[in-house]
Amino acid sequence: MGWAGMTDQKPGFIVSSFALLVVFFLQLPVIVVVLASFSETSYLTIPPQGWTLDWFREVLTDNTYLNAIKISLILAVSATCLSLVLGVAASYAIARRMVPGSEALASFLMAPLAIPAVVIGVAMLQYFSLVGLRGGFVTLIIAHVVITVPYIVRSALASLSGMDVAMEEAARVLGADSFTAFRLVTLPLIKPGLVAGALFSFVVSMENVPVTIFLAGARQTTLPILIFTSVEMGVTPGVAAVSTLLIVATLVVLLLAERWTGFHRFV
Amino acid sequence: MVNLRSGLLLLAPLALVLVASFAIPLIMLVPTSFREYSPGHGIITDGWTIRNYLNILTDEYYREVVVRTAWLGISVTGLCLLLGYPVAYLIVRGNPRWRLPLVMLVIFPLMLNLVVRSFGWIVLLSNRGLINNLLIDIGLIERPLKLIFNLTGMLIGLTHIYLPFMVLMLVASLQNVPRDVEAAAATLGSSRFHIFRAITLPLTAPGIISGSILVFVLTISALVTPRMLGGPVYQVMATLIYDEYMQLLDWPSGAALSFSLAFATVLIIWLSSRMTKRWAGLA
Repeated sequence: MGWAGMTDQKPGFIVSSFALLVVFFLQLPVIVVVLASFSETSYLTIPPQGWTLDWFREVLTDNTYLNAIKISLILAVSATCLSLVLGVAASYAIARRMVPGSEALASFLMAPLAIPAVVIGVAMLQYFSLVGLRGGFVTLIIAHVVITVPYIVRSALASLSGMDVAMEEAARVLGADSFTAFRLVTLPLIKPGLVAGALFSFVVSMENVPVTIFLAGARQTTLPILIFTSVEMGVTPGVAAVSTLLIVATLVVLLLAERWTGFHRFV
Repeated sequence: MVNLRSGLLLLAPLALVLVASFAIPLIMLVPTSFREYSPGHGIITDGWTIRNYLNILTDEYYREVVVRTAWLGISVTGLCLLLGYPVAYLIVRGNPRWRLPLVMLVIFPLMLNLVVRSFGWIVLLSNRGLINNLLIDIGLIERPLKLIFNLTGMLIGLTHIYLPFMVLMLVASLQNVPRDVEAAAATLGSSRFHIFRAITLPLTAPGIISGSILVFVLTISALVTPRMLGGPVYQVMATLIYDEYMQLLDWPSGAALSFSLAFATVLIIWLSSRMTKRWAGLA
């Protein structure tokens, strides 16, 4: 081992320092947004000139922001739940080869990932305007199912093909019907993968602009749309405060997911 | 037979959703892209034209935007590779205790709202932003540098946003490099740099290629970051499509641009998956 240890290719000092700098670069905008949200001035200096919680109070009492947060959460939760049910059912049929052409079908279910989101957005704008469904909240949920379901399908297919089919068959032999076998044997086995897929789906829905912006009606402004459009008007510290809230929420969810499922294995 | 029927029942709901609200909307863009648009009258519904597609190749403004988009894709991919490889290397080969914290620090920005990340770069790069304030305070410059609404801002922002994808792809492929091949080369007297160049780098080529294709495709499709850091004037294909639909109301041109962009991404993904399959067959 001593020999192998000596010949091991380990990153040297220069490579390690450079890599750590790059990791710092990845956190840089996050740090800056958090600092800006506590800063008294509307622009940021180092060191910040005075600290305040005013921007948070402003955001948390402003109905525009509160509504946007509410709409985003309802949309992301509904789309993710719907994607989970539809995606796991379809993935099961594909993974167990219950239908012919499973490879082509899998690519079709993943296709929304290959098309640029803005193209999906304009296509839906034109189509839903034509059939008169644009501006409806159900339309928005369906649109979000289209863009989130590939993440569910991807993790469901990977988990299903990674598990031992014999365990499911054993349950069937012992008298369980197929749904019971799925619920009691398959589902617990693929759950970590599904949790990771659902988290991805939630994140994708929560941050989507390119599809939502073409479909959302006036009263359906989601949080990212609100930030996106208010930044076009000029930077306000309110945006920094609401961004900080999102940063904290993301951090908490990521750490919980890592504890529960070992999330980083699924990325 | 029972199996097939329940299979179809399981598959049908999602397939229907995707056909009705993904495939059909996309197909219905086709006729729009061959229509003529006249300002003031809107879309002219009699007659067909291929001018919208010809414009993309011949019109100077469109061509500039297309070339800029492709160029951005290439530069961002190169930067991500250059910055991402050392990070992946440190994660896989560095102290195992640092592994999980480093991976989490790479995933965290990836999971963070895209709009928030782009906003962070606005706070940093704008004329009254942190970087300009800092440089003026220490007396390096007198007037703010133009770091935003141009190529610089776009390159920094897009590289930041797609770097985690590249790192994760490279981590996966670095993990598959057999350590004993490197050890053998070292025993035979290769220098560390030579081992890296002759063994590690070629063995991670699949990861480099799939990471690069992913970053390139994501970059040329990006809308949010280019609009937030490029402003309304410095356009790429996605922001131009957005404006054609939302501001200019020239849907036919927007549809033609959409198809060109989607065609490019689908073609690149298809070619790369064919290529990796062929390589897998050779191995």
